[in-house]
Amino acid sequence: MFAWKRKILRVDLSTGNSSVEDMGSDLIRDFIGGRGMGLRILYDEIDALGDPLGPDNKLIFATGPLTGTGAPAGGRFIVVSKSPLSGAIANSCCGGYFGANLKYAGYDLLIVEGKSPEPVYLSIINDAVEIKPAGHLWGKWTMKTEGMIRSEMGVDFDAWELNSMSILSIGPAGENLVRFACMMADAGRAAGRSGLGAVMGSKNLKAVVTLGTGEVAIADPEGFKKAVMDFLQEGRDNKELEKRRMWGTWSLPGRANKNGTQAALNFQAGFFEAFTKFEDPAFIRDRIWVRDEACFGCPFGCSKRSRISDPAYPGTLKGPEHETMALLGSNCGSGELDDLCRANYLCNELGMDTITTGATISCAMELFEKGYLPERDIGYPLNFGNTEAMFELIKKIGMRRDFGEVLSEGGKALAEMYGHPELFMGVKGMGMPAWHPQGAEVIGLQYATNNVGSSHTKATLPFYEGRRDPAHGVEWTKDDQDYLAVADSAVLCWIIYHGPLWREKLLVWLRTTTGIDYTEHDLSLIGERIWNLERLFNVKAGLSGKDDCLPKRMTDEPCVNNQVVHLDRMLPEYYRLRGWDEKGIPTFEKLQHLGLEKEGAGLK
Amino acid sequence: MRIKIDHTKCTGCKLCEVACSLYHTGSVNPWRSRIRVFIGEEFCLPVIAGPYTEAACNSKGVVFVDGKEFDGCVVCRASCPSKSVFKEPDTAIPLKCDFCGEPPDPQCVRWCASEALSLVEE
Repeated sequence: MFAWKRKILRVDLSTGNSSVEDMGSDLIRDFIGGRGMGLRILYDEIDALGDPLGPDNKLIFATGPLTGTGAPAGGRFIVVSKSPLSGAIANSCCGGYFGANLKYAGYDLLIVEGKSPEPVYLSIINDAVEIKPAGHLWGKWTMKTEGMIRSEMGVDFDAWELNSMSILSIGPAGENLVRFACMMADAGRAAGRSGLGAVMGSKNLKAVVTLGTGEVAIADPEGFKKAVMDFLQEGRDNKELEKRRMWGTWSLPGRANKNGTQAALNFQAGFFEAFTKFEDPAFIRDRIWVRDEACFGCPFGCSKRSRISDPAYPGTLKGPEHETMALLGSNCGSGELDDLCRANYLCNELGMDTITTGATISCAMELFEKGYLPERDIGYPLNFGNTEAMFELIKKIGMRRDFGEVLSEGGKALAEMYGHPELFMGVKGMGMPAWHPQGAEVIGLQYATNNVGSSHTKATLPFYEGRRDPAHGVEWTKDDQDYLAVADSAVLCWIIYHGPLWREKLLVWLRTTTGIDYTEHDLSLIGERIWNLERLFNVKAGLSGKDDCLPKRMTDEPCVNNQVVHLDRMLPEYYRLRGWDEKGIPTFEKLQHLGLEKEGAGLK
Repeated sequence: MRIKIDHTKCTGCKLCEVACSLYHTGSVNPWRSRIRVFIGEEFCLPVIAGPYTEAACNSKGVVFVDGKEFDGCVVCRASCPSKSVFKEPDTAIPLKCDFCGEPPDPQCVRWCASEALSLVEE
């Protein structure tokens, strides 16, 4: 079989048993891999109403057919589970080398279930699967955890093997069940949103180590090579991609700020004065850049490793990416580059999603400034721009200490606790990312309808070529959501293939690596199937159209360019295009069309 | 001719390993590649497989590259019995760079988008 290994590794942490299962052909046909296949398995195997932090929730680490093939920017993997932050479906994508290693070890998917009685880590070296004690690693920051695991592995492996090994771990935040804890892999990559680090923590699983020395077979090596050569040339000629290579996401804060779409001061504004200096991204690169850092198989290497000269923050960090700069920066009123790095560094080390952390703290800041959150609860003043208080709070959240205990439940719980739920800027409990929806209202629709909550990665933002005309915003949102569901299943990087580019490329990589003559129609149908099954999972978990909403600020208070988001106008059109009823529930006809009639039967 | 390595440009994407194994074996497996990339924190080091040596190495030790400490085996190009790279994973048959045939057309250079690798006349 080309591209896929057709093997699923299942590890039960309760019993310590592991087994290898064959992957059914229907799974491949209907869901491809990655996000789709993980969803299918999760949907069948867990109770959607169950506790996401209970032993019955599962973590599915899923690669796709492209993972490990060298298809450009196709080295990623995705983690599927039920989110402890939103209670909805979660699928967090992550780069680095972990996915490729899992694939080379011989597995498309890794399912982790149950709960270990003691802290452990999981070591997957080809077919040798071991559960090892991790009591000595518990409480350690993520970089330290990686280092310690490598040291103990050094007994059995040489320098090259240790270097090729991937380690994915959680920090104290995951152990302490912070609802927006992330997983960190390969020294700075994150499966960030949805709080899946807490799911790992709830299972007493500190880390997963992968090293694979096997192969991935390519159906049409010559066709594949030629397509890669063509793509590398296109990449050199494409100005957007060249910019990505040079600046990563560092070109975005200045640009978004200039256009008034930069989240600022808990979304009270779309512009932040201190960010005007980032209009020239060289300002950032000249000061903190160490090297460009690619994920496996990516010719663009958009990630940047950086460093600040502060002995309290030794070594390097990956980032800060635009999203981090916005949520832990402009949105918290913090504008100094070194401070953005400090906040990012702490989140990486403690293992917390930078976006949600920023969203939660900025919510607290507004509550404090408006007088709803008393200083005595926090212990110190928490005005916008008080970076020292921020750093302190980030650490307190990770350790779940003092006021951090309250914040670790997320911004929604915080705002409700202090009687002002309207001040939480998020959807389905997940804080909104960097792009202010009032800058282009279709972003509001994308955040509101996203199955995982307000993430920016499940539809193409309307700033890219071919996606700018607001008249087609709703239609493109649906189309892109479907197609990106396939990209996340293949797995192909959203950052590189944004806009219409990836439709064509996704087909090329899938055809040449798998040997299956996919058509664009096949892929949109698979994508739509994934999107609808995610929706069904959410419905079973108790969510519905009422959760496809935006904070009142977005729809009622014009903060940017005197605009509001007309969600009430867009949402009915979106539901209609989706073939859903007015409550946002897929109709029987639609489900039948997608081969999901069995799953929809219980809804009526 | 030789393949010139500018390690300061390497991003660690490992497409060279993909290209090499695909050319030589028809499938993708970095462990069957004749070039490997060592991922460092501040820079990466591509290393190309040189000749096989049977002799036990007596020069093992620590090497400094740009002020950073590396295991001597990392910068050594030789395929040898005590090293995990530059040999077939199953059979331990040594691997050596052959410039992808005659005339030389090294695939790693073609696939290297960051221009860390280049073919130079010398």
